[in-house]
Amino acid sequence: MVMRLTVQVQLVLQALLREPGSEMYGLELSEETGLQPGTAYPILLRLEDEGWVTSRWEDIDPRAEKRPARRYYRLTASGAVQASAALAAARRPTGIALRRLAGEGGNA
Amino acid sequence: MSRGPGPRLSAGKRRALVAVSAIIGLASAAYSLLRTSHPVGFQYLAVALAAVGFAACAAVAWPRDGGRGGGLSGRTRDDDGGPADRPAAKWHALCLVAWLMPRSAGRRWLAEADSLLSEMPAARRRAAFRSYLLSAPRLVAIMWVREVSRRARLGPRRPG
Repeated sequence: MVMRLTVQVQLVLQALLREPGSEMYGLELSEETGLQPGTAYPILLRLEDEGWVTSRWEDIDPRAEKRPARRYYRLTASGAVQASAALAAARRPTGIALRRLAGEGGNA
Repeated sequence: MSRGPGPRLSAGKRRALVAVSAIIGLASAAYSLLRTSHPVGFQYLAVALAAVGFAACAAVAWPRDGGRGGGLSGRTRDDDGGPADRPAAKWHALCLVAWLMPRSAGRRWLAEADSLLSEMPAARRRAAFRSYLLSAPRLVAIMWVREVSRRARLGPRRPG
């Protein structure tokens, strides 16, 4: 299935690709991307459904740590590859944009 | 017991209003997703109705004079001890949203929200909380579509 790359999805993928093997939890992702958690959560769900991202609960004792357990997210191996390719394709100018640039090149 | 300016709903009436608003919002969102033969415009209208329904929930559940800091589920409090219903009102709003989702999905969503909001600086918590509520109608619909798809993939249960 083709993942629709909105700006928000690209921000999340870029944050996860910064260190592909490492994990990030919700607050970290929110701070890194500048997205509110209500925006990021559906994106992470969709990435999980596509198999690009996997997640797990932090293994701690909330009483000892005095905070709830975090949910950590990281890219899967195939997800990292697909995310990199998808981001590269998103940055590539489309054929229409290139034709317009070529047509307007003489009018600048 | 003294009351602030303006009428206040009793707790029971508030809960009833929240529940009705949420049901209307959820039904609208579910209807829009299930009736794919409808034009796209009707689907967005239904989602908009769902958003209005949840906005009503947030308006009723939101504390009148704004919440300040404190743990979401009541584990911590402001230094001044704030009114007891501030963090509780926010928590109840999130619990209501989680209740509208499929059970396991709602539990996970609520636990993640609790974890994130409890670690978030107090100055940003209100905006984060609002973002959770605003995304709630669409997220509830997404969760149910995922649940229905998952059950369809699993197929009917065999007796024995």
